[in-house]
Amino acid sequence: MPVENPVGLESPLILDTLTTPALPSADCPRRARTQLDLLLLAIEALDLGGSEAMLAVARELALDSLVKGRVNLWLLRSTNPMRRYSQRRPMALDEAKALVAIVGNLARRLTVLLRQLLTGYQQLQDKQLSLDHHLRLADYLTRFRTHFRARMNPRRAGVIAYSTDEKLDELAIQLLEQLLLCSGVLGTQRLWSSLFDGEVA
Amino acid sequence: MTIKRQYTLPYCNLVLEGLSANANDPFSPLTILMNAECRLPGVTDITLTGGREFLDSLVAAVSGYGQELLSGVTRPAQTPGTPAPIVALKPGDHHNHHLIVRQHPIGEPALDTTALPPLDIPLTTVQFFDLMETVDQLLADTQTLPDLTAQFQAVSRRLVKPAEPMTKRAAPAVLGAAALAAAGLALFFVPPPQFEPAPPGRQTDTPAETSSAVSNPDSPTAPPTGAEAGLSNPEQLAAAPVIVDPEKMAVLQDQLTRRLETAWQLDSPPSGDLAYRVVVAEDGDLLGYKYANDRALAEVDRTPLPALTLGPEPAAPPGQDPVAQFLVTFTPTGQVLASPWREPSPDSEPRAANPLPPLAVKITDPDQLRQLNRTLYDRIAAQLSPRSAPAALTYRVRLTADGDIIGYEPVNAAAGSLAQETPLPGLVSAAASQTPSDTGQADFKVVFSETGVLEVSPWEGWPQ
Repeated sequence: MPVENPVGLESPLILDTLTTPALPSADCPRRARTQLDLLLLAIEALDLGGSEAMLAVARELALDSLVKGRVNLWLLRSTNPMRRYSQRRPMALDEAKALVAIVGNLARRLTVLLRQLLTGYQQLQDKQLSLDHHLRLADYLTRFRTHFRARMNPRRAGVIAYSTDEKLDELAIQLLEQLLLCSGVLGTQRLWSSLFDGEVA
Repeated sequence: MTIKRQYTLPYCNLVLEGLSANANDPFSPLTILMNAECRLPGVTDITLTGGREFLDSLVAAVSGYGQELLSGVTRPAQTPGTPAPIVALKPGDHHNHHLIVRQHPIGEPALDTTALPPLDIPLTTVQFFDLMETVDQLLADTQTLPDLTAQFQAVSRRLVKPAEPMTKRAAPAVLGAAALAAAGLALFFVPPPQFEPAPPGRQTDTPAETSSAVSNPDSPTAPPTGAEAGLSNPEQLAAAPVIVDPEKMAVLQDQLTRRLETAWQLDSPPSGDLAYRVVVAEDGDLLGYKYANDRALAEVDRTPLPALTLGPEPAAPPGQDPVAQFLVTFTPTGQVLASPWREPSPDSEPRAANPLPPLAVKITDPDQLRQLNRTLYDRIAAQLSPRSAPAALTYRVRLTADGDIIGYEPVNAAAGSLAQETPLPGLVSAAASQTPSDTGQADFKVVFSETGVLEVSPWEGWPQ
């Protein structure tokens, strides 16, 4: 299992490990905002106390100055253009760094569950069984679909692409995999770097 | 002294053997790699081994592919010209991944690695995660190969391939251009719509007539243009064939007089004689009328003409059915007098080109014909002015025995429209038009050729 991280996620200077990319503007690109919110949505679907855990992790990582509370977190996540109540405010890079740190930290705590679910998914695929046969996985998928439909604006083109259960399940599985990849020792940095693929000069 | 470092996860074992920089210091980091060994228990029995080159390639491939899975942005393939990397990762179907390794089997002499078929090891996402995590732990481990650290770099915008190939992106534009061309080609065969101006009088006949009658019923100084447009204009019916049968004319005249007398209410007798030119169809319907004196225009409401005239939609368009024209006079004493309409003098009515009735008495004397022919030629030639007609103008001209021109009739279409360019309208004498036809008349053919040459000949040919 993961060894003790030499970088030290608990360090208050956590954000220093995430280098600021050479972006044309000082704001977070659209795809990054969407991706961060979706990853947090998947965490909520995995863990019933996910939204509380996000705030707890923010306090642990001394990110209170960036994620000030429930409302502030909601505002940050609402910069996702797919949201029903999408906020026009931009997301600063430091705020995105804080969310990336929270995602990485929570993903690490969920590593065991993520491995179980993905292994179960693989077995169902090999046996050509529907996803309902894995109770925990079916639970996650149902909750993810509910969260997604409740919060995303069904008229947005990006949301219309996920109009069916099958497509939403596909998205949920993809987010599970991405969360797993974020859970490693360098997962946070890799996630941060991946947010700007195709965006930097 | 040889140091062995091992990174173990459920699906991946990475073992590194090497030498430390300082043999005497047990905490000295591993700096020189001798051998790297990667086993994938539960995936394959093959052991992947290699030196620093293999390890570097493994680290680069795994790290890059991990970021690709997170972002969904495909990293650009290696630049052409460089040899294929020893380790590569490619996405497979259904959340699977392919680890592709080019290495020569252990125990055999080293060969050109590019010549061998590469190993293709399918991995699930969890298995790939274990491989990536061992590599990440190695990268994060400062005690092993300190020079090997994580290098995260986002893909540049310029290196990202567009989501759709050029051909696919250009398809809509090409399709649009093709559709436009096809539509243009199809419409090329459709004739352009013909703009047909409606006959000017037909549409304004009755509605305008009533409105003008209401708006200025007693104004004797009504503008003549408004009156012409407002009242039914028999000029439009001039092109229609004229009824020439005297018996029919008499019947129509009788009928018209009786109808007008019946319909005329004498509660407001006119202040003077009201004269109208009235056009009547063959069946007795009143097709149109036009005032012949100013009082007739002002007091048209006191006559039954507006009520009796047919609506704006006669059964047949004018010009098709034969018509008769009468001069109708309403007297202050309550009498209605109708008489056949006679063309006024050509000075006031230049369009005297009415169809000529058949000759009652023909002049057949050859000498007289020649004399008349010469007289006609001289009279026309005296007033002939240069003109530019696109075609020859041919007329049938009628003369009395005295040489007066009674009338003329255009023979071809151009002659009808261009009569004003010839001296003929000015030569018709008013007196002659009233001349009874019993003294003998003769027809002549007058041709104004395109080149300006005047030809005059007897209508029925030169006498023998």
